[in-house]
Amino acid sequence: MLIEILQQTINGLAIGGVYVLIALGLTTVFGILGIAHFAHGSVSMSGGYLTYFLVTAQGLPLLAAIPAALAAGFLLGVLVEMLAYRPVRHANHINAFIVALGLTMMVEGINLQLFGHEQVVIPTGLNRVFRLGGITVPELRLYVIIAAILLVVAMMIFVERTKTGQAIRAVAENRDAAILMGVNVKTIPLIVFGMSTALGVAAGIMVGALFAIAPGIGEGLVVKGFAVLILGGLGSFPGAILGGTVLGITESIAAGFISSGYKDVIAFVVMIIVLLIRPQGLLGRAP
Amino acid sequence: MLAVRDLRVSYGGIEVVHGVSLDVAAGECVALIGANGAGKSSTLKAICGLVPASGGSIGFEERDITRASGHAIVRAGITMCPEGRQVFPQMSVIQNLRMGAYTRNDSEQEADLSRMMDMFPILRERQSQAAGKLSGGEQEMLAIARALMARPRICLFDEPSLGLAPKIVASVFETLAHIKAMGMTILLVEQNSMMALNLADRAYLFEAGRIVMEGAAKDLKNHPDVMRAYLGH
Repeated sequence: MLIEILQQTINGLAIGGVYVLIALGLTTVFGILGIAHFAHGSVSMSGGYLTYFLVTAQGLPLLAAIPAALAAGFLLGVLVEMLAYRPVRHANHINAFIVALGLTMMVEGINLQLFGHEQVVIPTGLNRVFRLGGITVPELRLYVIIAAILLVVAMMIFVERTKTGQAIRAVAENRDAAILMGVNVKTIPLIVFGMSTALGVAAGIMVGALFAIAPGIGEGLVVKGFAVLILGGLGSFPGAILGGTVLGITESIAAGFISSGYKDVIAFVVMIIVLLIRPQGLLGRAP
Repeated sequence: MLAVRDLRVSYGGIEVVHGVSLDVAAGECVALIGANGAGKSSTLKAICGLVPASGGSIGFEERDITRASGHAIVRAGITMCPEGRQVFPQMSVIQNLRMGAYTRNDSEQEADLSRMMDMFPILRERQSQAAGKLSGGEQEMLAIARALMARPRICLFDEPSLGLAPKIVASVFETLAHIKAMGMTILLVEQNSMMALNLADRAYLFEAGRIVMEGAAKDLKNHPDVMRAYLGH
């Protein structure tokens, strides 16, 4: 029983890492611009598809394809901010919302045209399985967990320790005061979108390597990402990290002990119960 | 140093500042006084680029900054300590102070940081606390110190006494007097006209979006109209 729980926890950490990376991007964008960036999942999957393309069609080694896809993700994020969201920045919030939905459909459509409707799996060649006591840890899952942790730590260091990171926080906390400090509030959203999308692409690659990328996966992921934000507490970085991990582990345990068909149902039931007890989310501030 | 000419500011098509002209010379402390809604704060906000000027011009050290964006104005040397403090509530006191030095690349930032904390010992005591947890008076001190961290050539203060207890107001003005004595050029907007006129060298009296009187602070303080309307005599 205990072994089984530990086993599912390890499995849950890998998918939890994916949720955390998606949620961190969403929370940063939301904090800076107040935009619910629904296209985030689909844009992230484009990065996953790109990695697949670079590895299979171009024959690039995985370790070269990943940085290329992350860089492409950064640029894509910058473009999304400039072309899609910037024009509606001063308009009613519903406009940005409509743009987000339209962008989701567009990106999904482009993914479909470029990469087809068949699901694709990014070949990694990482097939070893480690055994630790009674727990089996596939090599790939372990690397996914480590990569997710490294990315989260890098992001935290960037936000807490660098001037640009602090400027991002300042804009999120008080935009006018940030201007008075000399922060250029036109370039900050570009950096935020670039960074968030690169993190999303990392999540997309993980999904493509662990499971498969297919049409609709990105949309499902973004719903989970927002669920994580609410679960952890809107606007809270540690909340997004905790929320994503909790959701991943809950799903995994639900799938292992009850039924994988009900894992989403159970995960969302747990989320609703948490929110009934703590409406502000696990680490959110009480209003 | 700062030359505002026929400045107009509108919000949503309604003009609130109707052609204001004022000057601040280097080393001077100038106060803008007048009733609530007279256009003082809007004038300050236009100078530092938070709201666009709908007419007129703003010159700073021979440069036209009328259309410059907010961050460029800070880099030119104008910093504002805004109304209502506007600290970054979830960032620590020390992170707030470091944000004040955002535009600087010199190596003296850490020295300035400890100078600020010498000037405001409470900030040293609370340096790792979230700024939002400080009292109103402490937040005002933080906002002032944060503005000074930019090493501005002119510092704008928007209603520094607003919402503070009388005892705290007195200490805020002592601080401003100290900053003035250090040689800082100051443009101050303040509803507490008596305190402002005691501190300033010169003052402009605002009424309904226009300047109706200007002169040496001590002359304005003794002017019968000002005494009757704003000083409660």
